[in-house]
Amino acid sequence: MENLVNPKLRDELKKFGVQDWEGCYHCGQCTANCPLTEQGQLFPRKDIRSMQMGLKKTLAGSLEPWLCYYCGDCSKECPRNANPGEMMMALRRYLTSVYDWTGISKLIYNSKIAEFALIFIIAALVLILSIIYSQVPDRSLWITPEGGVAINQFFPVEYVHFGDMVMFVLLAGLLISNIVNMYFKVIVNQGIKVHFINYFTEFWALIWNFISQKKFSKCDSKPYWYVHLFLVTAYVTLFVMVVAFLTWFQTDTIYAWYHPQRILGYYATLGLFAGTLYFIYQRSRKTKENSKHSHYTDWTFIVLLFLSTLSGILVHVFRINGMALATYYIYIAHLMILTPMLMIEVPFSKWSHLAYRPFAIYFARLKKAAENKQKEANMEATYKLKESIA
Amino acid sequence: MEEYRIGVYICWCGTNIAMMVDVEAVVEEIKKLPNVTIAKDYKYMCSDPGQDLIVKDIKEHHLNRIVVAACSPRMHEPTFRKALENAGLNPYFFEMANIREQVSWVHTDRIEATRKAKGLVAGAVKRVVHHKALNKRYVDIHPATLIIGAGVAGMSAALEIADSGQKVHLVEQCNQLGGMVRKVDLNYPYLNSSRQTISQLIKNTEEHPDIQIYTESKIDKISGYIGNFRALLSNHQEQRELEFGNILIATGLKSFDPSIIENYGYKRIPNVITSADFEKMLYSGLIHCENGKEPGNIAIIHCVGSRNENYHPYCSRTCCMTALKYINQISSAAPECNIYDIYADMRAIGKDCEELYASTSKKNVMFLMFDQQHDLPVIKQNGNGKTVSIEFTELLSGESIHIQANMVVLMTAVESQANNKEIAHLAGISTDKNGFFIEKHPKLDPVATTTEGVYIAGTCQSPKDIPDSIVQAKAAAARILATIAKGKVQVEVTTAQVNEDICCGCQCCASVCPYSAISYNEDKKVSEVNEILCKGCGTCASACPSGAIVSKHFTDNQILSQITGVLEMQIETA
Amino acid sequence: MNYKPTIIGFLCNWCSYTGADLAGTSRQKYEDKIRIIRVMCSGRIEPTFVLDAFRKGADGILICGCHPGDCHYHEGNYKCLRRFHLLQKYTQQMGIEKERLRLEWISASEGKEFAELVDEMSEKIASLGKCMVKETLDTYR
Repeated sequence: MENLVNPKLRDELKKFGVQDWEGCYHCGQCTANCPLTEQGQLFPRKDIRSMQMGLKKTLAGSLEPWLCYYCGDCSKECPRNANPGEMMMALRRYLTSVYDWTGISKLIYNSKIAEFALIFIIAALVLILSIIYSQVPDRSLWITPEGGVAINQFFPVEYVHFGDMVMFVLLAGLLISNIVNMYFKVIVNQGIKVHFINYFTEFWALIWNFISQKKFSKCDSKPYWYVHLFLVTAYVTLFVMVVAFLTWFQTDTIYAWYHPQRILGYYATLGLFAGTLYFIYQRSRKTKENSKHSHYTDWTFIVLLFLSTLSGILVHVFRINGMALATYYIYIAHLMILTPMLMIEVPFSKWSHLAYRPFAIYFARLKKAAENKQKEANMEATYKLKESIA
Repeated sequence: MEEYRIGVYICWCGTNIAMMVDVEAVVEEIKKLPNVTIAKDYKYMCSDPGQDLIVKDIKEHHLNRIVVAACSPRMHEPTFRKALENAGLNPYFFEMANIREQVSWVHTDRIEATRKAKGLVAGAVKRVVHHKALNKRYVDIHPATLIIGAGVAGMSAALEIADSGQKVHLVEQCNQLGGMVRKVDLNYPYLNSSRQTISQLIKNTEEHPDIQIYTESKIDKISGYIGNFRALLSNHQEQRELEFGNILIATGLKSFDPSIIENYGYKRIPNVITSADFEKMLYSGLIHCENGKEPGNIAIIHCVGSRNENYHPYCSRTCCMTALKYINQISSAAPECNIYDIYADMRAIGKDCEELYASTSKKNVMFLMFDQQHDLPVIKQNGNGKTVSIEFTELLSGESIHIQANMVVLMTAVESQANNKEIAHLAGISTDKNGFFIEKHPKLDPVATTTEGVYIAGTCQSPKDIPDSIVQAKAAAARILATIAKGKVQVEVTTAQVNEDICCGCQCCASVCPYSAISYNEDKKVSEVNEILCKGCGTCASACPSGAIVSKHFTDNQILSQITGVLEMQIETA
Repeated sequence: MNYKPTIIGFLCNWCSYTGADLAGTSRQKYEDKIRIIRVMCSGRIEPTFVLDAFRKGADGILICGCHPGDCHYHEGNYKCLRRFHLLQKYTQQMGIEKERLRLEWISASEGKEFAELVDEMSEKIASLGKCMVKETLDTYR
């Protein structure tokens, strides 16, 4: 059954944050306004239409929501206040649940209770593990000769690092399997024939866009790009340091302020702290288009991220000031916030876009290359036909 | 012999004429013509000062013929005739040369255009000397009115006329009153009962002492003219004759049969029904498929037979809103039912119709757009026999989609009644290419027809909804009452006239007259024109072998002189 | 030199004359050598008018009436058509080419069609050259 119209999908999409179905009457103003619109990539009207009609397969193959950075221009100019930007966000949430084969994503997006329960379960698990594996050393060992707290005495960094690595493998496994799923839905199921060599020639786009978020700079509102870039680099830095190089990052020795460990740490912390504060401020003020409408998962994400950062800062402050017990408790709290945040947000919820977006750009390029190839082939065939007639 | 004193006025029409025609040169040339007393040019002849100029000159220079060269006579001939009347001159001592629509606006060579203008004015000058004084004529109006068709328009007009105390003959071909509206369950946009509305109207009509109703009757013949019509009316038992002064045609329309549209499979595929069938179903109070079950998915297809050159090119006007009405009715009767509204353009004209669309779109309905010109949906029966699938390209997304439905409602077009040509012929009016009656003027006079005393109202003129039909019916009633109140009406002056001295009684004229206005006088052995029946087409004049019959204001010598005029100037200046 | 023929047009008041007016209001350009004479119905057009126009120097005659079935007077255009066929036979016998006398149906909405008709007829008659009826008669007079 190809392209069967499905009126039931509307009810489903409502849970992902679509508020107004009747608003859009397809004038195309949003598409005309969007700086990312190009041939074959019609933001965001076409997806809205597919959503209205419930064309599941077309939607599953749509890359557009990932390419959108939600500058909000479309919603600002919409003559019917139909909120096309927010519809793209809702579609993104829906697609996250479509790519996720475990079904957890759908659970999180459709039920507040499920999301909070999951957070608490993971937090409790972390607490139990912390109690089991943490060791309270002899009081004389609490403070290092420099006057800082010997955190690795409480929490042997190897243990934490081991947990990290388990989590990393789990997250990577889930994300990669979801991306494979996405690849099937976007490329294979849509009948797109990609030339083998293009998988390599287009790969640079994935890397480049991941690092630079270059596409965002095409949007008219430049400040957003800076904020977003700052946040992304901060996050990636911290993620790499915490997950891959924790033994280097979490030391008992307090280095001088210009040591790369501290410089990188401060940069990342500043980025996350300022970024999350900025987004919390915007989301509660509700003046800008892109922060007017918040799904509850948006709030969970930003609040968890903010709290992780805050607790991280406190750990640092207490540690260098030699407040041992405070460091100890806040460190556990930090893990209890950070772990559920990563476990939920990265593969199943909002943060998955860190992987989906660059891959969407990559897939979009593959699609385009395939189309161009097809066009060339068609032209060649026509030319040959003409020649044979002549 | 009368001395001709002609005044010629050339209009600039601002720059409209003066830009392409050397107006002053025309004046100079025309001054040289015989009988021309004065020739002048003026910025705007139709303006009050322009008309005053003519009046003043007539009095001062004792002019007895006037020529104005300006726009089309279809535009301002009545204006200038009035000016002549004001100056005490017979309005028919006037001729107009059309140097705007047929010269300055259509030509690009100023020299040639000026030459052509000179020719046309010269033709008018030559013609006008042969003009004769013609006097206005009036006939008495018979106060009764014949209304054909007792639908919502016919009955509304009948009540309006009868309420003012005038007699109405109301003729209906069916055995009961009410027309199309009687077959409808609810009305849009307020979803009130159609039956209640129409039954009140029927009751008032039936009980009215001044309305004579003839059901199951048809009109065999109409003769006469405005104010004095006669008709032969028959039903199965008897034939009778009626006399009346005005006619109102309100014969309505009928539904289109969609079985000729291959794609939809009407009558071939079960559960594909027309809006008329669905209306019956709603009337009975139960929406059901052929197996008796309530449908879970209903598709509504718009523009079935409308707005498509293969069927009817026009918009049927009411189906979009009727479809919205159905959506409301379905969602209140079967709230779980999915409704697919497959439309081409949602046309919500009329008071509160856009509001109906806005509120309906919040129901459990999905609007899908199709291309009604090139890509009609295809309905196929599914193997299970219970559902059909509808396939088409959805225009807003460009995707080829398909829908599974238990029932399909075709919003069928409306079309003109099959016997409209016949009625048009009886009443002396015409029908357009779709079979609807043609009004006198599409904007300025949508109620009257080109035949005096014959009016049209309701959907026999074009598809329309109930309020519009009633508006037109009441407008027609007002027009008819105005003529009745006046008691008499002015009739055509430019009729035919027989010169009995020359007439040999061959009756060629009588055989060509479309109005039977010419009869043979056995005593005098000559033909006679009934000037009240005559409409002045002049066919008789050109058929008369002896030149005895004259078409007033278009006589042979008037036209021949005009030919001489337009060609003389051509040769002289060429 | 390009000869421009003079054409006399007899136009019905209800359809083609209005159509010609529409050509004007919509600024359709056409050959300027046509001279239009208004009649109430194409049924009014007598053979005399046509012959007289040829005698006085017209190079072509264009008669326009309402489309079949649309006549304001029911059937005047049919009468005109019958006369026209007879008349054309007659004028041809007189040595006037068939193309010089034409009958066409133009409705009130066909301004563009009218303009195109005039241009097309003008071109056709131009290729035939001047109509010699007037010269011949003047010589014998």
